[in-house]
Amino acid sequence: MEKEKKVVETNPAQEKTADQIIKENTALRDAEIKELKRKNEAELKQRLASTDSKEERKRIKEQNKVDLYNQISEIKNKYNDLLAHSLPSGANKDKRHMGMKSKRIIGNTTIYIILIIMTFIWLFPFVCILLQSFRVESTHMVGYIIPKQWGFDNYINLFTKKAFNDGGFGRWYFNTLIISIFVALIQTIIVLCMSYTLSRIRFKGRKFLMNFMLILGMFPGMLTMIILYRVLKDMGLTESHAIPGLILVYVASSGMGYYVSKGFFDTLPKSLDEAARVDGANRAQVFFKVILPLSKPIVIYTLLTAFMGPWGDYIFATYVAHHEETGMNVAVGLQNLISSEQSINANYTMFCAGGVLVAIPITILFMILQKYYVEGVTGGAVKG
Amino acid sequence: MASVKLTDVKKIYQGNVVAVHDFNLDIKDKEFIVFVGPSGCGKSTTLRMIAGLEEISEGTIEIDGVVVNDLQPKDRYISMVFQNYALYPHLTVFENMAFPLRLLRPRMPNAEIYKRVTQAAEVLGITQYLTRKPKALSGGQRQRVAIGRAMVKDCKVFLMDEPLSNLDAKLRNQMRAEIILLRKKIDTTFIYVTHDQTEAMTLGDRIVIMKDGFIMQVGSPTEVFDHPNNLFVAEFIGAPKMNIVKSQLLKEGDKYYVNPFGSKIEVGGAKGKQLLAKNVETQDILLGFRPEHVRLEQNPSASNFKVTLEVNEMMGSELHLHVVAEDGSKLIVRIPTIQLNDKEREEMVYGKELYLSFEGKVMHFFNPETEISLLSNQESPQKSDLKQDVPEE
Repeated sequence: MEKEKKVVETNPAQEKTADQIIKENTALRDAEIKELKRKNEAELKQRLASTDSKEERKRIKEQNKVDLYNQISEIKNKYNDLLAHSLPSGANKDKRHMGMKSKRIIGNTTIYIILIIMTFIWLFPFVCILLQSFRVESTHMVGYIIPKQWGFDNYINLFTKKAFNDGGFGRWYFNTLIISIFVALIQTIIVLCMSYTLSRIRFKGRKFLMNFMLILGMFPGMLTMIILYRVLKDMGLTESHAIPGLILVYVASSGMGYYVSKGFFDTLPKSLDEAARVDGANRAQVFFKVILPLSKPIVIYTLLTAFMGPWGDYIFATYVAHHEETGMNVAVGLQNLISSEQSINANYTMFCAGGVLVAIPITILFMILQKYYVEGVTGGAVKG
Repeated sequence: MASVKLTDVKKIYQGNVVAVHDFNLDIKDKEFIVFVGPSGCGKSTTLRMIAGLEEISEGTIEIDGVVVNDLQPKDRYISMVFQNYALYPHLTVFENMAFPLRLLRPRMPNAEIYKRVTQAAEVLGITQYLTRKPKALSGGQRQRVAIGRAMVKDCKVFLMDEPLSNLDAKLRNQMRAEIILLRKKIDTTFIYVTHDQTEAMTLGDRIVIMKDGFIMQVGSPTEVFDHPNNLFVAEFIGAPKMNIVKSQLLKEGDKYYVNPFGSKIEVGGAKGKQLLAKNVETQDILLGFRPEHVRLEQNPSASNFKVTLEVNEMMGSELHLHVVAEDGSKLIVRIPTIQLNDKEREEMVYGKELYLSFEGKVMHFFNPETEISLLSNQESPQKSDLKQDVPEE
């Protein structure tokens, strides 16, 4: 009976005090600190009065500052300890925990809301294009997003419609694929050889070459447009022969993109090369048998970036191909579809379908290879 | 199996940093040579020049009578074990060990590769790991694979660059013993680089002690231990290191004496005769004596000196006593535990006064200027060169 009574008595007291104890504790603590400061000030005045030397005063003041700080921290610690003991077990912890938890929830919610908004803004154009590409009731640009009638007509028309002379979407798509594959392969080989050389072999002018290429890379590629066109024209690699011309343009300066892969090669221990060379390999064998198998992420990263460059390129492709439809890549061809007001109305949905088709291979590639892509981008940074 | 000859080999890095000065050494067929020295002394650089991984700035290196200066590593018929193992992470242990064989032209038949790798694996006790990747091996196992990879190829010279320094102390002792055994099995010329004087002493037929790119002394372990050419070798070889104190060498008639800390100790045995033969006069010297050659004396006398004990390290079989002499110089003394009774051992505490003496036969005398041993026959040009080469700042 007595026990129960006690419980009844103490329980409300405990629940009530969790907050109060903290308040009381803080008040007491602040009072004590105030008192300490007051005392200290008086003492300091006395001590300062006892000396004339300016230096000595400065010293006393500084010493006092340190002492005061230490004393205050002592008081704070004392009250913190007191608090920990006087609070009902777990109350303090729970309270803090709750605070943290609710803070985290608020923080996370805000972040998610921002992210969702950003995602929506970012995805909206893609969703629009996807929906438009399935719209069959009219080919015009319209004021609504959801199609009234769905179908694959636009996709079929892309490949069959005779309006494109001898060009046509299939041809452009194929052109782009050829360009991209060749560029990806050639560029990867050049870039990897280049970066391996810069990473491993010390030769005269190495530093200069690296800096030179870095500075050269800072100029926008557009600057070279006119001269490149002149060169390609003289070589006969424009218009209907634009494909080899474009491959040449894309591949030509690729050695300058050595940074990322050089960073990666730098992280592979040099003793691996040395061991292989002692084991009887020449430089090429070291590269192909030891280094390349260890560099899968960076090979894939280089391939992907090299493939994507020409795949989506418009500017170079448009002036090299000029008006010749057989030499166009997919970006230029699609733009051609909607180049006039009349053709926009005739081809708009088809244009959207073309856009979707362009995105497909890249999307698939990324889905398969994204693991390596991330490793390739961050590899140099983390492993070092 | 081959001899290696280094003639006036120099390594100069960019910015005129000389890493190795005029290195001359004849390594005999089937000899086990150890390069030892503190870090930055040029030992690894020399090894890498032999391997062909560093260019030789000046001089020539011959393997089996052929100058190899301009040959690629693969054409030098060498094998090498690296400090960090340098195993190929993407290959299994078997393929790692088979790697040098697969590169041979004309191709080696697979059956022969299999035979050699499995044989080497058996010798090294790693047969059960052949299908694993290096990632799944412990440090000691990886080291074995690295040695195995170097073993399978027929090579003239077997190079090892600090192969044990990545292993923990226990494993290191074990692998050291295994390398001695391995050497019997492979029976070829070994060049081994280490910074650990114990490894050097236990493994080498001859030790090359290097400092700042100079050879300080070449000799068998006994030679360099008993007759160090100069102060550096004396202090580097042996642990704990040799005590060096200022003293005088006194010639009285046919006898020599040294007088560390006011005592007077006769130079006995062969040392005295050698000094007499060289007709060394009375002079200031640096006196060296090893911690294990010091005796504890019960009472003060003219032939011993007083020191105060600072630290007593109980090593089990012996005590390492760090003591301070009256003039403040610090000495280390090794006393076998068995020589002391329990009471004496308990008394070895801070501040205890001890009387020390040492054998006249085992002391070393160095010229305080040149730091060369008075008994050394070598004119040691290194020291003077060294002074000239100190860059003027």
